[in-house]
Amino acid sequence: MAKEMIAMLLAGGQGSRLYALTQKLAKPAVPFGGKYRIIDFPLSNCVNSGIDTVGILTQYQPLVLNEYIGNGQPWDLDRLYGGVHVLPPYQQASGSDWYKGTANAIYQNISFIERYNPQYVIILSGDQICKQDYSDFLRFHKEKGAEFSVAVMEVPWDEASRFGLMVADENDKITEFQEKPKNPKSNLASMGIYIFNWDILKKYLVEDEADPNSENDFGNNIIPNLLRDGRNMYAYHFNGYWKDVGTISSLWEANMEVLDPEHSGINLFDENWKIYSRNSGMTGHKIGSDAVVENSMITDGCRIHGHVKHSILFAGVQVEPGAEVEDAVVMGGTTIKAGAVVKHCIIAENVVIGENAVVGAMPTETEKGVATVGSGIYIGDNAKIGPNAMVNNNVKGGEEQW
Amino acid sequence: MVNSNANALGILFPNSYDSLVPDLVGERLMASIPFAGRYRMVDFMLSSMVNCGIDNVSLIVRKNYHSLMDHLGSGREWDLTRKNGGLNIVPPFADKSVKVYNGRVEALSNILDFLRSQKEQYVVMSDTNIAANFDFKAMINEHIASGADVTIAYAKEEIPASARQTISTNRGLYYTLKVEDGTVTDIYINPKDEGIQDFSLNIYVVGREFLIEQIHNAFVRGYSYFERDIVAPQLDTLKVHGFLFQGYIARISDMKSYFDENMKLLDDANVDALFSSPVYTKIRDDNPTRYIEGAVVKNIMAADGCVIEGEVENSVLFRGVKIAKGAKVKNCVLMQDTVVGEGACVEYLITDKNVTISADKEVKGTDTFPVYVAKYQVV
Repeated sequence: MAKEMIAMLLAGGQGSRLYALTQKLAKPAVPFGGKYRIIDFPLSNCVNSGIDTVGILTQYQPLVLNEYIGNGQPWDLDRLYGGVHVLPPYQQASGSDWYKGTANAIYQNISFIERYNPQYVIILSGDQICKQDYSDFLRFHKEKGAEFSVAVMEVPWDEASRFGLMVADENDKITEFQEKPKNPKSNLASMGIYIFNWDILKKYLVEDEADPNSENDFGNNIIPNLLRDGRNMYAYHFNGYWKDVGTISSLWEANMEVLDPEHSGINLFDENWKIYSRNSGMTGHKIGSDAVVENSMITDGCRIHGHVKHSILFAGVQVEPGAEVEDAVVMGGTTIKAGAVVKHCIIAENVVIGENAVVGAMPTETEKGVATVGSGIYIGDNAKIGPNAMVNNNVKGGEEQW
Repeated sequence: MVNSNANALGILFPNSYDSLVPDLVGERLMASIPFAGRYRMVDFMLSSMVNCGIDNVSLIVRKNYHSLMDHLGSGREWDLTRKNGGLNIVPPFADKSVKVYNGRVEALSNILDFLRSQKEQYVVMSDTNIAANFDFKAMINEHIASGADVTIAYAKEEIPASARQTISTNRGLYYTLKVEDGTVTDIYINPKDEGIQDFSLNIYVVGREFLIEQIHNAFVRGYSYFERDIVAPQLDTLKVHGFLFQGYIARISDMKSYFDENMKLLDDANVDALFSSPVYTKIRDDNPTRYIEGAVVKNIMAADGCVIEGEVENSVLFRGVKIAKGAKVKNCVLMQDTVVGEGACVEYLITDKNVTISADKEVKGTDTFPVYVAKYQVV
């Protein structure tokens, strides 16, 4: 039984620009939006689009991610035939190798794809916050008779040179590809989401692998090769919410946008396009008589006795009396002790912020940093963490870090 | 928390005491009454059993069990999707159910063949009108150590006022015990005494073979109730042990106690006690609860999926409750997907699932008599 389309999800990236947050876990496993992890978005998109077979390519720090995915049940991806499969690099008779690039990662799993004999393969990336209907993308791909399609977003012209750009004609047929060009000819940025006809993808993967000079990357090698050969390549316009959360500030910003779905466009409250996640199993959250909660998102297991303003708290966060939390992203299991002040920052999982400690500061004209505290860190009483700090090690009581 | 298997199978009676809360069981049964924000009553005993290494649990349902089957599914959330044992829902046999069962004797007589074919040495039995983090393991150990034929769990509790007031027995039987040095020497049926009693929790541990024999003998004599017709009359010949449970108990004995037991969970200490081990429930994949500009909240417990724009005080909100702008909610228990419209004002209210309180409406009960609004009603 063949599958029409299966998904391959690139989740091996280190996410080095998230620094403290990705010391112990891969970027797709980074928590987001109160009860999700980044990878919940592409996985939920797959299920909601009718894709029931997903290969997740992992490499960097896969433990948290592996455990999180498990058998795929939270996403309804525990299937008899298909379902979710975590695919780390493995040893073969011909030797073994890490995934050298995005294309090589898929190349090394050609035999996985062939088990399902699909007509189409969609390549997804595990570091974007986006709700997208891949079945509509496939409809476009089929209608155009394409061999390769890429999802693109219109970006402001003055920012275009930061992206990989697709130059397309009036029929959306791609005529040129520019990787971060100085003089952009287009403002259609590639989202890194591709649909290939499987026979075409396989041919180019094999060819790419044979080229010793190749970086084995989709953007740098496969797409230019397709263009060289004049393949039928089309650009699929996507105009919903899309955010690459590859940096601390963009991750913080995307979380804050969740608090304002009416304007930002990222709506987690959509009954018709649910984002699934593995459940914390904690009891309902509690807000004490001494608490003030303003414009925030709070989930199971939280206990709030302090002042929480415009913040996102993940499962099991404790905010003690007199503590102040504002414009903050506070991940699961963290405790903010009495009198602590936590502002404009990202606090990772299972952190303890000591009494009267200060973390981050509201932005000023000159200072807009998002303070970041890595997971499991202990910040001592009365310690002070500056707005640009990236805290990787415990901070003793009374110490300062800037 | 990890336990080796307890060598016991569990049996739950999800319909017991339905008659105490007729409003709440209009379209469900005791076991599927929503409780504590995101749970159903059955979750507590079921999770307790699982946490104690009991992974073979049968629920003998009687009627109105659609909502329970929907809630439990294949039992995955409780880790009861097992090849051996696991979750087993036993509906009444159509050809035998001219009259559905009344007491445990009739219920158990329907599954005697099943009981004969099981391997576990012991059977634990419980109703679902009590939410507790019950230590079945300790109870089984006491049962074994005492060499008893039957062990009954009891707690130091007052008899609920509503139970004392009624004379009729069709609201369900209840029992208090006389316990001397751990041995139950007397069982009182529907007593009216005031003050703290050794109040039976109707949780039993018995040997499986013993149970089969007793049920068989009782059924052919036309007996109905395990406690009244089997244990009580044989107190002088059987060794009946009492197991004192000292943990937190939330007992549903009428609408008022349902309200009060929810409200008691606004105290963190009670939540910590009730959830000392994890309690599992069906996952709904709600988003986190959102507090929008203008929301004022004091002393509440809320599950995921709520959207709060109004004022809420001293209340328990279940999953997906919406409180619109300008609405005032005080001392309420609002079940799943209740909507309180703009400017509405509610106090001492229990709303069942999917209730809508229209804009600017005012609905108030009192602390001794909370108002209940049934499923899908629009006020």
